[in-house]
Amino acid sequence: MAWEVVQDLVVPKSTGKTMRVGKGQLFRVIEHEGKQVVDLTFLNAHDYKEHFAAEYSAMLNSLQGTGGYYRLTRLYSKPPYENVMATVVDDKVGDGARGGERAGHFMMCHCSNRLLEHLGLPGTRTCSDNFADAYREIGLKQEDTYDETIFNVWMNSWLGEDGAMNFARPLAETGDHIDFLAEMDLVAVFSVCPDETSPCNDFKAKALRFQVLEQKE
Amino acid sequence: MTSKVIDEFTIPRCSGKAFRVDKGQSFRIIEHEGKQVAGLIFLNAHNYKEQFMAEFSGGLNYFHPDGMGSHYRLSKLYSKVPYENVMLTVTDNKIGDHFLGPHCTRTMMELWNAPGHRSCSDNFTDALQEFGLELGDIYSPSVFNAFANVRIDPGGDGCVRIEPPRSEKGDYIEFLAEMDVLVAVSACPDDKSAMNDHLCKSIRIQVSEAQQ
Repeated sequence: MAWEVVQDLVVPKSTGKTMRVGKGQLFRVIEHEGKQVVDLTFLNAHDYKEHFAAEYSAMLNSLQGTGGYYRLTRLYSKPPYENVMATVVDDKVGDGARGGERAGHFMMCHCSNRLLEHLGLPGTRTCSDNFADAYREIGLKQEDTYDETIFNVWMNSWLGEDGAMNFARPLAETGDHIDFLAEMDLVAVFSVCPDETSPCNDFKAKALRFQVLEQKE
Repeated sequence: MTSKVIDEFTIPRCSGKAFRVDKGQSFRIIEHEGKQVAGLIFLNAHNYKEQFMAEFSGGLNYFHPDGMGSHYRLSKLYSKVPYENVMLTVTDNKIGDHFLGPHCTRTMMELWNAPGHRSCSDNFTDALQEFGLELGDIYSPSVFNAFANVRIDPGGDGCVRIEPPRSEKGDYIEFLAEMDVLVAVSACPDDKSAMNDHLCKSIRIQVSEAQQ
């Protein structure tokens, strides 16, 4: 049994996109140039109201000892569905291969238009813009979707005990990857984060590579 | 400055209730017996798709040019993308403890070896029903958990630490409505974790008229 790549895409910097992943397939995100974050969520391909809930998954994984706000094993959908949508089956960076004080992902918010206003940079492209483009591909409006709390893959952010939001450069280097096993038919919705104002993407937005893999006899 | 109380009621233990607050009115979530968490969902009364977004508000407060607070002490409550409007402002918050994160659910009760135990999902389902809404219409399971004494570990996997509330009988948090809002409250029915100090209690609500 071997995994065979059935889809292989380099997605340009600062853009949003969707990809379909069938039940039993692997969704792989690869660092194409290194130190680049992807803001990622999933929808049930047959019922878009059932979407991934990152912070809720952080809570459920924390209770099971399988992760928390900086790493996840099981990705759950929102109530009232509460299904395991995907399982992380390969995550060397999150497992500590690149060191760091924490697993190095972030189950929380992405950059938005209001955030960039607050930072004194109104009009800067944000993940909200990328998500709006991505949802448009499958005929959804942002009013009808929820991407506010997502799986920020390789986003090396954390909350201090005082609630301060901290940022450091991603630990992931070119060639590092993370694999999600689809436990149902999914639409992956993602933003190749356009932020160049913080260490989030090491001050430079870059491209990322995405693959869908299938098991062959 | 004092303003006139126009409505006051008790939400019994382990139950949910929704009510409307008009722009300019204030309301208090009051510890009726002490050490009890109240989960809060907020919706624009004229567009139910415009919903409070909990975690996101933490970042928007922290990076606000005037330093409006943080994930653990919020001043401005923002609605979800693409709206990002200030829905409410916290105007009195002496205790200061709240958790911008998930309410308890069926699956959490299962993980605590209490399958079938009542959860905030049930309370919110009841509360939202009064306004013709279902839990499925609420985008995020993350809410404003008033008085919750919960922290996320800053290291490792980012695990969640749940401690008993520090709020006592009579303590309150006060919100000013910056738009007409629906408020759904769950008197959290979790007696499995330390969330409510292992005993579920009631919550008192007080709504005051707009100040002239």
